[in-house]
Amino acid sequence: MLNPRAHVVLDTLLPPHAHPSLPRGLFDAGFESFYQNFARTANGTLRQGFQFALFIAIWISPLLIGRIPPITLYSRETRERALAAMESSRFYFLRQMMLILKNVVAFCYGANREVRDAIGYPRQHDDLRDTQNGRGSL
Amino acid sequence: MIFDGEKEQRAVAEAFDYVIVGSGAAGATVARTLADSGASIAVVEEGPAVDTAEFDDHIFPTMQRIFRGGGLGALNARGRAFIPIIQGSCLGGTTVVNSAIVWRIPNDVWESWNVEYGLGKALPLTELHKNWDQIERELYVEPTPPAVWGGNNRLLDVAKTNLSVSAFPTRRNVRDCRGSARCFTGCPFGAKQSMLVSYLPYAVKRGATIFTSARVDRILMEENQAKAVTGFFHTSTVKKDLAPFTLYARKAVIVAASAIQTPLLLARSGVHSSHLGAHFQGHPGCSLTGVFDQPVNLWSGATQGYESDQHRVDGRFKVEPLALPPELVFGAMPGIGKRWVENMAQAAHLAVWSAPIRAEAEGAVREGRFGTDVRYDLTPRDMIFLRQGLKFVADLFFAAGAREIIPNVHGLPERLKHPEDGRLLESGPENPAAYSFALTHLFGTARMSARPQDGVVGTDFCVHGARNFYVVDSSVFPTNLGVNPQHAIMGIAMLAARQIMAKNG
Repeated sequence: MLNPRAHVVLDTLLPPHAHPSLPRGLFDAGFESFYQNFARTANGTLRQGFQFALFIAIWISPLLIGRIPPITLYSRETRERALAAMESSRFYFLRQMMLILKNVVAFCYGANREVRDAIGYPRQHDDLRDTQNGRGSL
Repeated sequence: MIFDGEKEQRAVAEAFDYVIVGSGAAGATVARTLADSGASIAVVEEGPAVDTAEFDDHIFPTMQRIFRGGGLGALNARGRAFIPIIQGSCLGGTTVVNSAIVWRIPNDVWESWNVEYGLGKALPLTELHKNWDQIERELYVEPTPPAVWGGNNRLLDVAKTNLSVSAFPTRRNVRDCRGSARCFTGCPFGAKQSMLVSYLPYAVKRGATIFTSARVDRILMEENQAKAVTGFFHTSTVKKDLAPFTLYARKAVIVAASAIQTPLLLARSGVHSSHLGAHFQGHPGCSLTGVFDQPVNLWSGATQGYESDQHRVDGRFKVEPLALPPELVFGAMPGIGKRWVENMAQAAHLAVWSAPIRAEAEGAVREGRFGTDVRYDLTPRDMIFLRQGLKFVADLFFAAGAREIIPNVHGLPERLKHPEDGRLLESGPENPAAYSFALTHLFGTARMSARPQDGVVGTDFCVHGARNFYVVDSSVFPTNLGVNPQHAIMGIAMLAARQIMAKNG
């Protein structure tokens, strides 16, 4: 289970209603169930990297814009500024942490059928199988 | 016969004429060649056997199933930058997840192997060309037909015309490609002639036994002679050892486990050489994203169906379009929150082209305290090649009509909007940490040499000082190639297999 602070970070990273063609946010795209599988099966480096990246986002990223952590104290706009500062930081390590966050989030979001439909990604022959497995349409 | 170690869950001790470790381009080609002799053969693959119909269109489960260590994050080359190393780990090895690109060893590279490393006689070009002719016939190699170029490849053809540079449809080992852009996650139609659907079934039909989900821990030696391979069957996702196995080799043990795993296995088996694990080379590459007014539909067309070799020799880089699934496109898009989503929404209008370089850097592969440790840092000259490569990609993009380019380079603007902005890439950061690399095509960690003091493996592919113990994968290459290595690996593995067969009867 994601803790509430992690939830806020990820919702800031990929919010709902950010674009007319992609109204779903990360948590509307099934991230909770994706994360359960991720926490169980991802390799240790990626799993621990993701947890650590969340920690950095919560406790370090606000410092980059001169704010006291945690990030959950602030408005969405300020949170976005903090995470953007992490993404463009001069410290390679912080940029790498953001890269891990975004990649893991994208593993879920880019696999979502409705997101794929929205960007014009063609339906594949195995979508039927995925739907039967409960993974195709969330 | 395929023995699935994950399902069978019982100990195995059997004897074969030849035991081959690894089922990728090298191991499968050796199996295919030896199978013609009627010898009994075992092929041992660490990864699982995944049926073509099981290949999934989603990156995360695919990485878990068929990439080494679960894919992203599992193995990084460490230097000033962390560079993810991409390797397949399933029956058929990386041939299952590559783009089936076919290049013979370029003459200039072979010449340097001949002159600088004295390997001309060990790797005779006439023999290699015969092998490549055979492989190309058997694996249906042909230039990518325009019908499956798709937008991403077609734009490079436009750029070629507008800039008058050398570029052409990529030669690939595919049969009836549908242009579904799914090479990286395993071709679900069996069109790509990976080892999974070509040479391994050929060997099995002639009696070879394949052991999957079988991790080889060491080669058992007796008086410097390789006698057997031993290890454990294991589960493929959450790694857990199951039953042990020992496969005895009456004639030879042949290692083809890749330039990362081969030196580690040799070291665990008691091979000592200062060259073992050293001289690690690769083709690190970065990509740029072009934004076009018209839809490109990156996901339609051959994954990598066109390429430019304009600067292969003078600039040490090639240019290749890359079709990526939405997950990987999204992950590389800049921005947080609304801006990130806006960038994702442009996905249909994006083209992705990469510039893999023939890096001069040499690294090292060792068993570290926390697992495989790969040290690798690009040289200043490599960074010049890379920046020139990215500038060239930008020139090509603008020549193809790109509205703007997303460079994904720290310290540069998020978007380059004018053709003259390409110079920003050429004068970009010198630190590799500013770039997003991926490292594929791995070489050199058990290099071939005539004298034991210069390498790990002799010119007969046998480990120096050992008997019946051969290495046939790209570990033996003295340098990288500057082109996609699958075909070079297969041609050399076929040569090795014939020599081993002749020697052992």
